[in-house]
Amino acid sequence: MTGTWLAIAGAGMLLSLLAGFRAPNGWLAAFGAGAAGALGAAVTVFAEGGTWEFRPAASLGGEAIHLRLDAVSAFFLALFGLVGGAGAVYARSYWSEAAHPRTAGAGRFWWSLLLLCLGLVLLTANGLHFLMAWELFTLAAYYLVTLDRRGREVRAAGWLYLAASHLAALCLFAFFSLLAARTGSWELGPLRDRPELAPLFWLALFGFGLKAGMFPLHVWLPSAHANAPSHVSAILSGVTIKIGIYGLVRFSGWLPAPPAAGWVVAALGVASAVLGVAFALGQHDLKRLLAYHSVENIGIILIGLGFAMVAADQGQAAWGQLALAGGLLHVWNHGLFKALLFFAAGALVHATGTREMSRLGGLWRAMPWTASLFALGAAAISGLPPLNGFVSEWLVFLGLFDATLAHGPAAWAAIPAAVLLGLTGALALACFVKVCGVVLLGAPRSAAASHAHECAPAQRAAMVALGSGCVAIGLAPVFFWPVLARAVADWQPAWGGVVAPAPLAALSRVHAALALLAGAAAVWLWRKAGRNGLRRAVTWDCGYAAPTARMQYTAGSFAGIITGWFEWILRPVRHAPRPLEILPARVSCGQHTPETVLEYVVEPAGGAVMRLALAARRFQHGRVQAYLFYLLMGVAALAALVFLGGSP
Amino acid sequence: MNETTNLLIGIAMGLNLLALGSSRLPTLILAMSAQGVVLGLMPLLIVEPPDWRVLLVAVATVAGKGLVIPHLLRRAMRTAHIDREVEPFIGFVPSLLLGAGGTIAAVAVARTLPLLPEHSGSLLVPGSLASVLTGFVLLIGRAKAISQVCGYLILENGIYLFGLLLIHSTPLLVESGILLDVTVGVFIIGIIVDRIQRAFDSLDTRKLTALRE
Repeated sequence: MTGTWLAIAGAGMLLSLLAGFRAPNGWLAAFGAGAAGALGAAVTVFAEGGTWEFRPAASLGGEAIHLRLDAVSAFFLALFGLVGGAGAVYARSYWSEAAHPRTAGAGRFWWSLLLLCLGLVLLTANGLHFLMAWELFTLAAYYLVTLDRRGREVRAAGWLYLAASHLAALCLFAFFSLLAARTGSWELGPLRDRPELAPLFWLALFGFGLKAGMFPLHVWLPSAHANAPSHVSAILSGVTIKIGIYGLVRFSGWLPAPPAAGWVVAALGVASAVLGVAFALGQHDLKRLLAYHSVENIGIILIGLGFAMVAADQGQAAWGQLALAGGLLHVWNHGLFKALLFFAAGALVHATGTREMSRLGGLWRAMPWTASLFALGAAAISGLPPLNGFVSEWLVFLGLFDATLAHGPAAWAAIPAAVLLGLTGALALACFVKVCGVVLLGAPRSAAASHAHECAPAQRAAMVALGSGCVAIGLAPVFFWPVLARAVADWQPAWGGVVAPAPLAALSRVHAALALLAGAAAVWLWRKAGRNGLRRAVTWDCGYAAPTARMQYTAGSFAGIITGWFEWILRPVRHAPRPLEILPARVSCGQHTPETVLEYVVEPAGGAVMRLALAARRFQHGRVQAYLFYLLMGVAALAALVFLGGSP
Repeated sequence: MNETTNLLIGIAMGLNLLALGSSRLPTLILAMSAQGVVLGLMPLLIVEPPDWRVLLVAVATVAGKGLVIPHLLRRAMRTAHIDREVEPFIGFVPSLLLGAGGTIAAVAVARTLPLLPEHSGSLLVPGSLASVLTGFVLLIGRAKAISQVCGYLILENGIYLFGLLLIHSTPLLVESGILLDVTVGVFIIGIIVDRIQRAFDSLDTRKLTALRE
């Protein structure tokens, strides 16, 4: 049954690859079938349990093909199918032939290739094929990021993405080759009883962590997500960074990890969560802000995974399960609401032509659908009940609280982690209050914002699908618990049966009651407004005779106090020339937050390497005699090494 | 047999020093070709009794290194109107000191190498190392392309000497293959010399720096 679904998925994806350039509607149909096949396969695995394996009598690159779908990979496959399918519907009208005649076909082709290769990464159980699919999806994602490569910023972002991805791929090559060298085969599978493989986890953490956008390896993420077309930002943020999490979950489950690994992952998670949201607060670019929230949410996922690894190391099944289930559910949730937010941001940016929040404003009136769905996504990502973000963060919290109550060595780490996770949630809420307040509410700050128009129905449909996913998980988390339980049991079979925590059912009821109350309140307000009649007025009127939109809070002033707390890492740059006259005609003040790690660590290091390389070029002067001298010195050094190092 | 071969190798090592110390190209070519002839005779002494293949290779080596290659080089010198001066980067006295030091070091190093007992008394290994070093000194320390060809040939003589260690186990056809390679290499270098001359109006390899990236 799983095989049939996967065959449909594969055939759909291949057909959509062929149809991508010429036939947009054929592409959409084939891709939809492929995505449905992937979803079907995942659901079948969850319903039937067990692991689906397939070994055709064929080989690729000298290695026998081995496909395998268990609950962990099916968990990610379901997300990829759903977000990929919704993204295809969105992309069909967002990056259409009419608007982008040069790149629309290429965009569809690379989209299909990206999702196909991501699926193969999830399915393959061979290290060599894993690397092949990994490289291919990286390339496909690069071409998607630079789809509209006329802008210099886009090309720079694409280049940074490609360089960072290859650094990650290099680590993974080392990881898989060392693994293959020590096990004697490229086959992947559970090897929990081989403690000598544990140090390899650090390589995996670097490679997969870089791809996931974990702090401080996130340097490529903000610019790539901000400069890519919005449907690509959605798939990058909702899906491709999750493949890094998949790698970490997969190999922390299959291979033994060093005892310190869980602590390190959890610490990196806390750092990513708090600093990601702090950086997000300092942004003025709508999509860059969303990109930093990806770093934050990856941090929340890593907190769950890290504490689960600690629990596995200490044999603490009870709270480990909760932490891992919370982290995994957050993978789904973040994929859903972040893709929704990027879709909505894409529609906003398309309607107004700018990503600069200080030029937007008052868009709720012009674009009610997009604005409402953006607000829904914002509430979900801020972890507000009764939506899905709250459920997963609450599961992680539950794990941390139980770890504290268990009085193990983890207790002392769990308390600060819980506090900082709470801080993250509060800051995220502040950040999205800022976004919604500045972009959706108030008065339009520019002509472009006042002439905005609602997006196409297909785009709205894609957003509604993702939004309803957010609501469904929020209202009925109990319904999704068996899926989580299967994935957790696959990750750590030693933990045995995974039982639903009792408060989960209570949470479902509370959420349903909350939703009912909110609905009733909305209906009551609506009817009251209908009875009394609505009077529309300018926002931020403030009693002035001639109010202007420039009087409103800007994004920077809104977040000023909080970014002040984080000045030590954000290092904001202020441009405020001091006015010299008594009554100056023009004064200006600006502030922007650079990507600190990139500008203060990576770029100086890269500059040093470039200077060294330039210095080394002096050795290449074209004199044959000197080249021969280098050769002789090299041979002499090797000879000295052999003589001094003793016989091998 | 050992005394005779050692004598021949000794002469070859002396010719190394001559090549390093000579300030004129014809002397350098003469030293190089004389070394080739001396070493070409060696297989006849080592393999006893010499069969027809050994004889053939010896004749080919002597003819190639003693007659054909020097002739080619002299003709290249004539047609390209090259001055007879060797232009050194490393002066003659420092070259000689380097060569002498290299020869002593080669003898010292050869004692520490794990050689077969039948080779331990012979000068084959030190002679070969000394020739390779001499070739390198010439390649590094001389400006003109012709003198570099000579350095390369002396380096090849060293490799050939080392190959003689294996004369009992490797077929001599391998040696003749090397010889063929060298002859072809000299042909090609002759052509390149001609091209460099036409392109730069000089055979000074220092001017090749104009070709770097």
